[in-house]
Amino acid sequence: MSSNTTELAALDRSYRRTIYLWGNLTMAACLILATAVPFYLFFTVDVDVQVSQIVTAFIAVAAVYGVFWVVEPVTYFPILGPAGMYQAFMIGNIANKLLPSAIVAQSTIGALPGTKKASFAATAAICGAAVIHVVSMLVLVGLLGTWLVSITPDEITLIAQLYILPAILGGVTVQLIATLKQVRATIIALVISAVVILAIVPVTPPIMKSFAVAIAVIATIIATWFLRDRTEERRRAGAAAQGSAAGSSTPPGAAGGRDDDSTT
Amino acid sequence: MIWAQSTSTDIIGIANIPVLWVLALAVFAVIILQSVIYLIAVKRAARAADMTQREVNQSFRAGAVAAIGPSLAVVLVSVALLPLFGTPPVLVRIGLIGSAATEVASASLATNTLGVDLGGSGYTQAVFIVALMAMSLSGAMWQICTMILTPLLGKGTDVLQRVNPALMSIVPSAALLAAFASLTITEIPKSLAHIAAVVASALVMVACLLLARALSQAWLREWALGFSIIGGLIVAYFVHYAGYGAAA
Repeated sequence: MSSNTTELAALDRSYRRTIYLWGNLTMAACLILATAVPFYLFFTVDVDVQVSQIVTAFIAVAAVYGVFWVVEPVTYFPILGPAGMYQAFMIGNIANKLLPSAIVAQSTIGALPGTKKASFAATAAICGAAVIHVVSMLVLVGLLGTWLVSITPDEITLIAQLYILPAILGGVTVQLIATLKQVRATIIALVISAVVILAIVPVTPPIMKSFAVAIAVIATIIATWFLRDRTEERRRAGAAAQGSAAGSSTPPGAAGGRDDDSTT
Repeated sequence: MIWAQSTSTDIIGIANIPVLWVLALAVFAVIILQSVIYLIAVKRAARAADMTQREVNQSFRAGAVAAIGPSLAVVLVSVALLPLFGTPPVLVRIGLIGSAATEVASASLATNTLGVDLGGSGYTQAVFIVALMAMSLSGAMWQICTMILTPLLGKGTDVLQRVNPALMSIVPSAALLAAFASLTITEIPKSLAHIAAVVASALVMVACLLLARALSQAWLREWALGFSIIGGLIVAYFVHYAGYGAAA
């Protein structure tokens, strides 16, 4: 019995070693390869690109997404576990593909979220999702993509090029609002964004246009924080005062509830 | 404009060169390698989690099947984005690592700092390189944070949650909502066709989500963005060629 327990503990230790070691190695390799793409173009293509322009563009992107570099890994960790983290942030499309795959697999074998079995099932499921995804991208986009674009008439390509952004944004914004189900934050975001983009930007110097989204984001975060619904907090504070330790908050956009930490 | 010397808008010409194909294929190879190593690790350690080999295989297959719909939706979006970024950058940035929404929004933010619209008349090779660089560096920061945070979170998951759980539950959704709301509203003053594309895409999404709920068809939710994009582009096509489009 005790030798069996020792053996299982050893199995678990070696599993964790493999996950962290190969997770870091593969992610570092992926990071270097992916970042080499723009750097190769920067150093070889004979066009006038200044470092200051790249820095400005990066700051504009960082102003919007910088908070997600940290918040997203923290949000997804309890659902994905260590192995899933290294997989998800390489394969991408976490909320629209990897999380559903993991959840389907867990329900298929009846593993309860938060257990080691669920974490293993999620890892195996993401491996399966990765294979499907890689094959479909290579064949349909890599091999046939240019052909699919080439058989498309020019006037349609023009439309796709001109209007792909609004065509994505309309749908994504609705899906986001529907997924988050936060009426108050949605109204605050829409009102502040409309004021910043339609009222402030047109009457201020052109430089404002670059940071309009960032200003809207920061203003919305501040407004949402001060205008948040505090009844839930008060209720929880009351519950905590009564000695209940149940104060788990569900992260927005997360598919499952926060269960026990998956540090196992 | 600063772009006097570099006015070529031939994005595909510089984006589809062999070196970038090799880099893109190498990224795919690394992902497959990771999946193989992790699957073997799960199979070996399965007993420690009270899991049978059959359950490991079932999980793998369930994950694969569940990914078919979303993968095809990503393919659809990726193909539509090929003219903007070229094949290898689309494979690396939209297909892997990031997602269409994040990467297109990032690229749009980056080109806006140069006073250019993504895919618009001033979208030159130089603008493309600046945009791709900004997208890639942002993506790299994401992965660096994941590499730093995963072991830390593994050691003490709840520490960060305890700092200020209420704030942590507000910031990401407020930031996401504001980012997409203001990016969408930025499209509104451009032309009637832009408005039509936004509205049509939004309406198709609403219809898909309502139908998905009414008929309990989960696949519709996965495919919804693909349908929305097609709907938005079809409506934009008619409004554009009716004479209400943007000056290309």
